[in-house]
Amino acid sequence: MNRLRGLLAIALLGVPHLALAQDTGFMHRLEVSAGGGYFTGTSFGNASATLRANGQAQPYALFTTESALTGSLAGDFTLGARINRRWSVDGHFLYSRPSLETSVRDDAEGAAAITVVERIDQFLIDAGVLFRIDEMRIKRLTPYAAGGAGYLRQLHEGYALIDQGHLYHLGGGVTRDLVMRTHGIVRAAGLRADARMYFLAGGVVNDRTARHGSFTASLFVRF
Amino acid sequence: MRPAALLFAALFIAGAVAHPAAYLQFSADGNGQAKALRWTTSPIRWYASNHGADGVTATQFQAAVGRAFDTWQAIPTAMVGFTFAGFTSAAPFDEDGQSVLGFAEEPDMDRVLGATTFVMDAVTGELIESDIFFNAIFPWSTSEAGAAGRFDLQSVATHEIGHFVGLGHSALGETELRPSGGRRVIASGAVMFPVAFGAGITADRVLQPDDIAGVSDLYPEAGFHQKSGSLSGRVLLNGRPVFGAHVIAFDLQTNELVAGFTLNAQGEFVISGLKPGPHVIRVEPLDDADLESFFDASQAVDINFTPVFYPRIVAVPAGGGAPRFDVTVTSK
Repeated sequence: MNRLRGLLAIALLGVPHLALAQDTGFMHRLEVSAGGGYFTGTSFGNASATLRANGQAQPYALFTTESALTGSLAGDFTLGARINRRWSVDGHFLYSRPSLETSVRDDAEGAAAITVVERIDQFLIDAGVLFRIDEMRIKRLTPYAAGGAGYLRQLHEGYALIDQGHLYHLGGGVTRDLVMRTHGIVRAAGLRADARMYFLAGGVVNDRTARHGSFTASLFVRF
Repeated sequence: MRPAALLFAALFIAGAVAHPAAYLQFSADGNGQAKALRWTTSPIRWYASNHGADGVTATQFQAAVGRAFDTWQAIPTAMVGFTFAGFTSAAPFDEDGQSVLGFAEEPDMDRVLGATTFVMDAVTGELIESDIFFNAIFPWSTSEAGAAGRFDLQSVATHEIGHFVGLGHSALGETELRPSGGRRVIASGAVMFPVAFGAGITADRVLQPDDIAGVSDLYPEAGFHQKSGSLSGRVLLNGRPVFGAHVIAFDLQTNELVAGFTLNAQGEFVISGLKPGPHVIRVEPLDDADLESFFDASQAVDINFTPVFYPRIVAVPAGGGAPRFDVTVTSK
């Protein structure tokens, strides 16, 4: 696998590139990118396991919890299609393995405080648009803004329970063309850095919306 | 001690054994196999005694008890129905083929507000008759808002009707010992908790998630078992099974508490009727009510351990069970 990746990089770097891509007038429609990065965690806040208190309006807390989905490394894959010079539509897949962590404390009968955990396999599948901001282009760095919506799937440990939800995202990034060609199947390749804010609804947090960030770097190939 | 204890109906079930999946649910030993006690016909016909008590007429009694039946009948995830069959001069506890609810004076039972008895098929667990008596030595109220110094009939009836349909006691509650004897409730998480809140309090008119899970598991609405899930495992102390440990499941998505017990010699528990989702598991000794409220006096319940949380979150799936797990507790 590593050898294959090495060969691909050599092949791409070995292709003579064009100096001014935007002046060539050609535009290839399909682009794929794959990479990795980090998907941030989020806190779900506090909750109490309560009983009805005798003679008091306030419930009796048996114990309290504070839950969070931890940040984790992520892998992502994007398939995009250019509509015109500025706009693309992207289909995007991101996988990460965060932990659901719940700190349990203040037990009414003195049970020791503990952090209980569970591993989550998290899949984000979304579609969106990407807008290239040519006015802010610096040499081969092209900034872009992106946004979209999609589907959230979270598999709990043991894969017995699946939580589903939906997501929205906003963000942006930059692409840097490393190589460009006017002929052949592969017309360009480069790097892409992407930062997004995700709003996840449903899933582990059920009826709440959780905010996460993702920071990824990927290698793209344009056909 | 103020009269605050509710009598556990298992006292009247000779030879009952623990059902392996329970909140508690009553069970019978059907040829060596535990069978949950349940009615097989619906609606279940009940009669009201035509004798009132101090401050409560027979009509007021019937109306309050009817509201308590309605509470159980209204659970959307359970299919259990009741119908009022009329007033009767028969007394509760007569084996007459009629399920009768009414007042009776039982001065010897000076800590018992009410109790439920059963006539059942000991092999199949089918309930044939069930009577409930309310102890007329106490002051009762059917007032909508409750009445100071009087026990709320509807609340106590809601508890006893839980027994009537086959539920045992829940241990979701905290109590403290009274200097004069008996226990005072600090907090309760289930109508089926064996110790009542006290006079003037109407809180037990409203069923709690633990009550609803229990009756829904006994009388599931179509699709309930596909929409709900279970968790199971063992509780071990120094490598040996613990009998009678109280296992609490806290739903991280709904913040609801549903609990069960380890009910066999292997220290195994099963909690069914849970909403799918991640749960925190807490295990504690059964020390907030008299052990006889839950188990036969001959059963050795181990309470010599400290409460503990299971270190993993347990994901309860819909239509199935979470992978089994062991909880290790340590001696006090």
